[in-house]
Amino acid sequence: MNRIKNDLNIKRQAKELGVSVWQAPSFLFLMLGAIIIIIMTAVFFFARNETSADYLIVIESFVAVIILSVGNVIITNMEKLAQVNKMKSEFVSIVSHQLKTPLTGIGWDIELIISNYKDGLSEKQIEILKKIEHSNAVMTRMVNDLLDVARIEQGDLSLRKDKINFKEIVQRVIEKNRELSGHSGIEIVVSNFRSDLEVSGDEKKMEVVLDNLISNAIKYNKEGGKVFITVKEKNGKVIFCVKDEGIGISDEERNGLFEKFFRGDSASKKSVGGTGLGLYIAKNIVEQGGGKIWYKTVEGKGSEFCFSVPVV
Amino acid sequence: MKKKILIVEDDVALRQTLAEFLEADSFSVLTAADGEEGVQAAKSGTPDLILLDIVLPKKNGFEAIKEIKKDKKTKDIPIILLTNLGSLSDIEKALSLGATTYLVKGDYQLREIVEKIKDILTLSQK
Repeated sequence: MNRIKNDLNIKRQAKELGVSVWQAPSFLFLMLGAIIIIIMTAVFFFARNETSADYLIVIESFVAVIILSVGNVIITNMEKLAQVNKMKSEFVSIVSHQLKTPLTGIGWDIELIISNYKDGLSEKQIEILKKIEHSNAVMTRMVNDLLDVARIEQGDLSLRKDKINFKEIVQRVIEKNRELSGHSGIEIVVSNFRSDLEVSGDEKKMEVVLDNLISNAIKYNKEGGKVFITVKEKNGKVIFCVKDEGIGISDEERNGLFEKFFRGDSASKKSVGGTGLGLYIAKNIVEQGGGKIWYKTVEGKGSEFCFSVPVV
Repeated sequence: MKKKILIVEDDVALRQTLAEFLEADSFSVLTAADGEEGVQAAKSGTPDLILLDIVLPKKNGFEAIKEIKKDKKTKDIPIILLTNLGSLSDIEKALSLGATTYLVKGDYQLREIVEKIKDILTLSQK
């Protein structure tokens, strides 16, 4: 009895499998039942004058059995596929959680040494610790990216809706990218924007979006090029744009730009590192936060990426 | 008078590092390794703020919040959830039970956590 009750809770079943309601096996079986009834009724009306009652029963049974078995195979396979997909997402999410605890530990311990035991360390030792800190940050970022992808697929990005100071975050992310831009001799030009712009969003996720766009603008720039950052307020939204002077995005590359694991031609040509998850994650974070993301590009001249975010 | 922070965290390494950092900053620190110990320490130690993990042995973070909020002596102590779970439903559940805020562990540096603690302590004094 409980089993039937469970099976009839279509919403819950869909949620458990991570699919939409109309893809839930129970719903599909109900549909299958409806289809069988409709077809059997149709067969009855068409055939009742042509054949005897006995023969009609045989035809009806035959039709019902065929539809039921074909339908059953299709639905069972769909259910299996949904389960495999769900297991894949869960696996990524469990592994990422397990990895995050030791990664957090490493990060915190390095921070503890550098801030509390600095006096006993030589400059060389501090330099090495900073390198470990950097590698740890890169690894943490990758785990976070994988976790975000798993969450996007499960439809639960867990975005906070806090009141956050937009300028502070932008400045923090620019600071973080100074080393990267310094290496490639690229200047970051920020036009003045108001320091009191408060937006509604998730601070850490907003950092991820900004970091993706700003580091892309540096990585895909021409040598000695500039990165222009502007922030405007329009119709209750803050609009952030970052422009580079790189080679732009070719027609073929445009289609898959926001897809998962997308890597452009220029990425391999310039041997730029990355997982190809950045823009996919950025798009999902921005859109789930109630904003939009878009870009303009001129091949040979550069690209501009923008996104909007609701003001508090 | 130093502010007293209770850390409820089952991972030894994280617990020790966090405790040392907080002590070196300006706080006095109590620690607990599971939910049951955490609730006990909240009642006997009267901390000014609690940092609470969600996935804990013996009693998980949700049960711990419920008990802490049930007791008159401890119900006003602000609780920061410090978790790596970060799924929206878990977080909403914890906040609805009375946690003040939550931080996803791996996303925050120690000094950022200290800043949040100080923010919340100043707010709760007003």
